[in-house]
Amino acid sequence: MELKEIKCNHCGHVNPPGTQLCQSCGKMINEDYDKKKIKDLMRYDGSAVRSKVRSQSIFDKIWNFFTSIKVGVGIIAIIAIAAAIGTILPQEYFIPIGADPLQHYTEQYGTFGTLYYKLGFTQLYSSWWFVLLMGLLALSLIAASVDRGVPLYKSLKNQRAKKHASFFKRQRLFKEYESNENAQALAETFENKKYKLKTDGDHYLLEKGRLSRWGPYINHTGLIILLAGSMLRFFPGVYIDEIIYAQEGETVSIPTTDGQYYMRNDGFTLDTYDEDAGTVFDQSLQNNMEMTISNFQTDITMFENKTADIVGSSPDLEEIENYSIRVNHPYYFDDYELYQSSYDNSQMKSMTFRLEDSEGNVLGENFTVGLDDPADSYEITEDITINMKAYSPDFLEIDENGTLISETPVPTNPAFVFEVAAGDTSELSLLQIMNSTDITQDNEYSIKFVEAEEHMASVLTLKKDLSMPIIATGFVIFLIGLFIGSYINHRRIWINAEGDTMKIAAHTNKNYFGLKKEMNAALASYDLPEVFDKQEKEENDKMKG
Amino acid sequence: MESTFLSLSNTFIFIAFLILLIALLPLGISIKSKSESKKYEKLAIWMIVIAFILELAYFIMRWLATGHAPVSNMYEFIAMFSIMLIGGFLITYHYFKTKVFGLFAIPVSLLLLGYGSLFSTDVQPLIPALQSNWLAIHVITVTLSYGILSMSAVAGLIYLIKAIPADENSWRARWLEAVMIAILTVVMYMVTTVFMQNIIGYNDEFYYTDQQGQQVIAEYHLPSLINYNDAIPVEHVGNNEYEPVDHFHLGIDLPPVIKAHTLNTVVWSIIIGLITYGIVRLIIRKRLFSLVKPLTKKADLALMDEIGYRSVIIGFPLFALGGIFFAAIWAQIAWSRFWGWDPKETWAFITFMFYTIFLHLRLNRGYEGEKSAWLAVGGFILILFNLIAINLIVAGLHSYA
Repeated sequence: MELKEIKCNHCGHVNPPGTQLCQSCGKMINEDYDKKKIKDLMRYDGSAVRSKVRSQSIFDKIWNFFTSIKVGVGIIAIIAIAAAIGTILPQEYFIPIGADPLQHYTEQYGTFGTLYYKLGFTQLYSSWWFVLLMGLLALSLIAASVDRGVPLYKSLKNQRAKKHASFFKRQRLFKEYESNENAQALAETFENKKYKLKTDGDHYLLEKGRLSRWGPYINHTGLIILLAGSMLRFFPGVYIDEIIYAQEGETVSIPTTDGQYYMRNDGFTLDTYDEDAGTVFDQSLQNNMEMTISNFQTDITMFENKTADIVGSSPDLEEIENYSIRVNHPYYFDDYELYQSSYDNSQMKSMTFRLEDSEGNVLGENFTVGLDDPADSYEITEDITINMKAYSPDFLEIDENGTLISETPVPTNPAFVFEVAAGDTSELSLLQIMNSTDITQDNEYSIKFVEAEEHMASVLTLKKDLSMPIIATGFVIFLIGLFIGSYINHRRIWINAEGDTMKIAAHTNKNYFGLKKEMNAALASYDLPEVFDKQEKEENDKMKG
Repeated sequence: MESTFLSLSNTFIFIAFLILLIALLPLGISIKSKSESKKYEKLAIWMIVIAFILELAYFIMRWLATGHAPVSNMYEFIAMFSIMLIGGFLITYHYFKTKVFGLFAIPVSLLLLGYGSLFSTDVQPLIPALQSNWLAIHVITVTLSYGILSMSAVAGLIYLIKAIPADENSWRARWLEAVMIAILTVVMYMVTTVFMQNIIGYNDEFYYTDQQGQQVIAEYHLPSLINYNDAIPVEHVGNNEYEPVDHFHLGIDLPPVIKAHTLNTVVWSIIIGLITYGIVRLIIRKRLFSLVKPLTKKADLALMDEIGYRSVIIGFPLFALGGIFFAAIWAQIAWSRFWGWDPKETWAFITFMFYTIFLHLRLNRGYEGEKSAWLAVGGFILILFNLIAINLIVAGLHSYA
């Protein structure tokens, strides 16, 4: 099919191929448009929408696929359904850290859990096909916006005040009056209601809120920026998510900063609410079995390393700032943020023991073994010394040659072999938490556990996300477009006062009730009858019929 | 001082509840009556306005008492939603004089408030994650948008009840009847729970091992049909001590992955709902929605469609702002990530996508009138699902509300 430009037989304006309503006078010039594809001619002001006109080449077909609202809605629906499926079982990042996923899902949820895992639904939101769906959505947004936005823009930009009689009848709000004496005054009344007036002889066009028509295109642009921004995370260096583990008093280098920044944990605080503070909360606090936490806080000191760029030099730390990191109050530096994530008191700091003789008398002072860097010997009295012969921070077993094997280097389950040296005698014993075993026979002395002290460590989350400003900008643009499109109404009123009669027609992209109210108020001030609402009549006829 | 505010606040919302309940009477009369007099309508609307002001006073007083916006737990959140429904109704009434909306919006609002008070109504201090100004900003915007979006569902429901003949042998009539059965079931669920838990005080305790292997107690406020594997009926003898006793149990046992005591309540609600429905059907010998149909007699279909659409275009941007944007800002500050596909977040996203579909179908594919009404009703079901079911079924970061 050859696509030809269409010359209007009424006003002579030459329209692009596929135009339905003459872009100049609004007369129907293309009777054989596909009525199935275009339900409301006024939606794009009867202009030629590419996807509704061309369908020959492969490009046309692809273009038509992505511009189709059916396809767009289909993609949105599939994304929504997929998102719902992802909430049936917890995603993998919610299961206990270190657990084997397949085993976890099978144990917890049986065959369904296994299947759910094998289908990849446990990492649904980062799966290739979910990302692909988002990509298709972006394509659909771009294609549909260009396809309809451009002709709509041209059509609204070039519109004239003078419209063909058939255009008037086409509008939902329409009325003919026998006299045209009030036309001028009526137009001015509307002008006072912030309508922009355009005249062409006896023809008037009153328009306001055209911005509303760009709302959808603005919000789609925002979404495209947002989707593009979220893809940026795939580039290295854009997104950093690290855990910082720092014991109280410890200074650690901040990862990914190449040794430029250091922080010291000056102390972790965990506060709880007082049940008897005499406030309105006492009752609920007392009903609650556990303590209600009021604050998690890590006080930190930030340092910058002045010699970070000199290879092999020892760090020369300069204090920058003190800050108290709390939940909802992260610490910001450079492009990074530091968040209070959790705390850890499972690591032991030291263990204290005492020495007893066979009758149970305590000898000398208690001795404390630091678990991070234990001393080799402890003097108890003038003649008794305890020597540490072996130490394992996380005891697993004793190997063949008698050394202690450690499962991890973290002091969570320490074990020691102590030698009690008194004069010439030497006794050996193995000490573990809750247990002590003599190695040499008939020991006279025994070592007893007194107490242990834990390390308090803060777990902080280090974040850097350079894609965030782009995503936020995209969403703000989206919101602006959405509010413009939703809260502003585009209203147009045409008045034709040619000859002795007056025709009034009006169009809006939404809220015909409001437009009708506004028009009828103006008409009533000239004692003119109300406009006629085609659709309202149809609805009510349908009910009667 | 604070405790005075608190007791005032509780009194206010209780009085508001009663006034709303009584206001249904003049409202119903004004809709049924054939006279032109607006006496009853005016009376009803004034009562609703006063109740709404009292509800706002509840909100302010509770805020003054606790020092934080009263939207921090399930009760406060549902109460807020229920208040916003009344607000939504008053706004719609102001513009369109649709009194019939009240007959649908007020009962839903009251039921929600009743349901909310099944959770603890005590004021609680804020846990660290909630200590933020974003709590008030985020939740108030979301509940406001929910209130407005709900009006679209009310308009849709009225549209359907009026447009679909009650004796029609069609799927649309069956679907509408199904919606009515669902509403009846929810009503019966709330009535039974309030009755059994608060009036009768039925409470059977069972001792079982949960998913994490912890020994916990399940409280059954309805006789146990479904229970946990190896659950032992026990009784609290004080001081956190329990002794084995005999409780009724039908004998269906499920693994702890499924929250058996929630499922038990759901099964009971369906049974009671269906029985009530059966009795009503036997008495009236017509479809249930034919009972409410006369109320919609004066409703203007074109106006219902317009309200249904406009509520969505006003409520949806607010939802996007409060439920997605403000939520993301706060999530970044509190949880270090603005979006994390937590179940509650995901369902907010699904709600967002649903209304997107609604708007595209309406604007581009001519889904007006009945089709649009169906979608509006569907949207409300989604909102309720995200509000209630997600919190009961899955545990995420939004464990408090």
